[in-house]
Amino acid sequence: MVGMTGRRKTLYVLLFTLPTIIGLLIFNIYPNILNTYTSITNRNKFRPYPDCNITLNKVLVPYCWPAFNVPKGTGRPFVIVQPIYANYQTIMKGLFTATGMFNLLLLVLCIVPLLVAYWLDRRMEKQMERRVRSWVLWLLALAASLVILVLWGFNAWNTLINTGDFVAVVLKTIAFVILRVPFTFALGLLMALIVSSPGLPLKGLWRVALFIPWAASSVAILTSLVWQFFFREQGTINQVLSTLIPSYTPVVWLNNPVYAFGIIILVDVWYSYPFFMVAILGAMSAIPNDVYEAADIDGASYWKQLTNITVPLIRPAILPALVLTSITAFQMFGTVWAITQGGPTAGAGKPGATELVMIYAYKQIFQLQNYGTATAFATVIFILLFAATLYSLRLTQLTRGANV
Amino acid sequence: MIRPPKRTMRIVQIVILVIMGFVALYPIWFAILAAGRKGDSLYTFNLAGMFFPVEWTWQNFQRLFTQQPFWTWVANSLKVATVTVIFAMVVVTSAAFAFSRFRFWGRNFGLTLMLGLQAYPGLLSLSAITMILTAIGLYGQHAGLVLAYTTGMLVFATWNLKGYFDTIPIDLEEAGMIDGCGPIQSFFLIALPLARPALAITALLAFLSGWSDYVLASALVPAPDTMKLAVPGLYGLSQSVSIPWGMFAAGFCIVVIPTIILFLYLQRYLEAGLTLGGVKG
Repeated sequence: MVGMTGRRKTLYVLLFTLPTIIGLLIFNIYPNILNTYTSITNRNKFRPYPDCNITLNKVLVPYCWPAFNVPKGTGRPFVIVQPIYANYQTIMKGLFTATGMFNLLLLVLCIVPLLVAYWLDRRMEKQMERRVRSWVLWLLALAASLVILVLWGFNAWNTLINTGDFVAVVLKTIAFVILRVPFTFALGLLMALIVSSPGLPLKGLWRVALFIPWAASSVAILTSLVWQFFFREQGTINQVLSTLIPSYTPVVWLNNPVYAFGIIILVDVWYSYPFFMVAILGAMSAIPNDVYEAADIDGASYWKQLTNITVPLIRPAILPALVLTSITAFQMFGTVWAITQGGPTAGAGKPGATELVMIYAYKQIFQLQNYGTATAFATVIFILLFAATLYSLRLTQLTRGANV
Repeated sequence: MIRPPKRTMRIVQIVILVIMGFVALYPIWFAILAAGRKGDSLYTFNLAGMFFPVEWTWQNFQRLFTQQPFWTWVANSLKVATVTVIFAMVVVTSAAFAFSRFRFWGRNFGLTLMLGLQAYPGLLSLSAITMILTAIGLYGQHAGLVLAYTTGMLVFATWNLKGYFDTIPIDLEEAGMIDGCGPIQSFFLIALPLARPALAITALLAFLSGWSDYVLASALVPAPDTMKLAVPGLYGLSQSVSIPWGMFAAGFCIVVIPTIILFLYLQRYLEAGLTLGGVKG
């Protein structure tokens, strides 16, 4: 439609996009505004209905609109809290104090060696001769990280976990996201290498079979119930173990916080390694064969070819996939809900061992009906996710299409 | 990696593949076994029964069909997902066309903003959506659920279809314009027929996301039993006091296995979408 200009074009654009814009405004943008507004009110189980004498309530909350005849209930109405950031103060409690920030800094310090290693590695790649081997560098960085973690990290973690709900829940979720990455990536890479190995019999069959967990992840909440059963006291794992080892006493896996967290990661890796397998297979098919032929002539071993050709060449394709799946994993709900429901508990009123961000939000909204603080929580999480999404968009250059 | 590996290496590869294939399939296979097991339990003290169908009965299926409104749940799910898809596609197709074909003020911003909005997880805005649906009297109704699902699909479907419209050469429409074809005609007569495969795939993917959803379905239509959708309905079975595992497993087979097959069929389109963002970047 290059030829059109001016008012006629505007008219057509509006005609074509208006239904979508209206839909987005009513069911996407407006709920977000309403959510943000609720986060500065004291709406909760005992105050579900608004005080319609307040101007902002009258404008924003649909219960007050004369078009809808909503029963006003008998409880006290909800109003704007004083000061208006009180809900945020409640959820962030303990983070913006000297000890909170100090401990957070200590935790961040744990990953600094890895970042330095990444930076050095990229720098040395451009030089003709490497002074330090890549794996030596990474091993040193990992060791340094572990030392910092053991010396200060665990202490800082324990202090932070006990300061407030928000800090505890977000930190656990971040730990979950970070811990799952190496496993999914390694398993995905291993399976991609095997499936793409030349001359493998029944290649198509293996691909389909290995792909099934990803397909099952679309109904994760039901499939995870089966997984939950494996780890029960009388589940499959215990049954097999007690047959193999006569003196074995059954373990209630899901009652132990550490095991439960491990199981969540295990099941999530099961769901998500096919994605990486497929992504890596796609990236590997883009590498020309000549590179390997040349390496073969030069006498490079399989391992050398893997670390010096395959991994560096698939990296630009895998990094965006990594970021995108990490954002999805941050919002993990179904798997955890079906397996642990956030438990095992760490005491009344405290988030459980596997209570990730979405589980916490779901419980706050539906079981406890603390709408005010829950929406404040949602707003902060949204800001985090929004920033991460924009970053991943820059990384994937998905919006490149918009600039054609 | 152009030469086939040595014999020992190949054996190691096959062993890993067999183990991983078993791990990938076992949970599904386990549910099939449990669906045919006598008595209402997921486990059996017979270890062989955990891996092979040593006994088989249709009892669990019969009880699921008679004691629970199972087919009503499935019908509800089909209804809601289908209506949502139709709703979303009708709204979105024209917008995708406009985003692909017109260059207008706010286009880039709009496309990026949509992806940013997508970052607000549906679960977090549930308290607001519940409020809105209660106000317009659709809370606890399938119509309300349809409205909520449509939102989630708008962004995804717009982007997906816009991507496909971009790949259709504009020459055809320009030829049409010379013959006196306006934007509306070129949309309906040229672009839409050409985009049929993309429409079908987008609709299927959107259908799948509505069909397999749990959070919104359980939160916006919590009761009564006959109004529930298939996934929350089945999940609810596992939460009742005397957990009828046999029935759950039977329902699992009927709901999950077709979903997995449909997903496997759509695999290559998912892969295409994956490489779109990644490999070429």
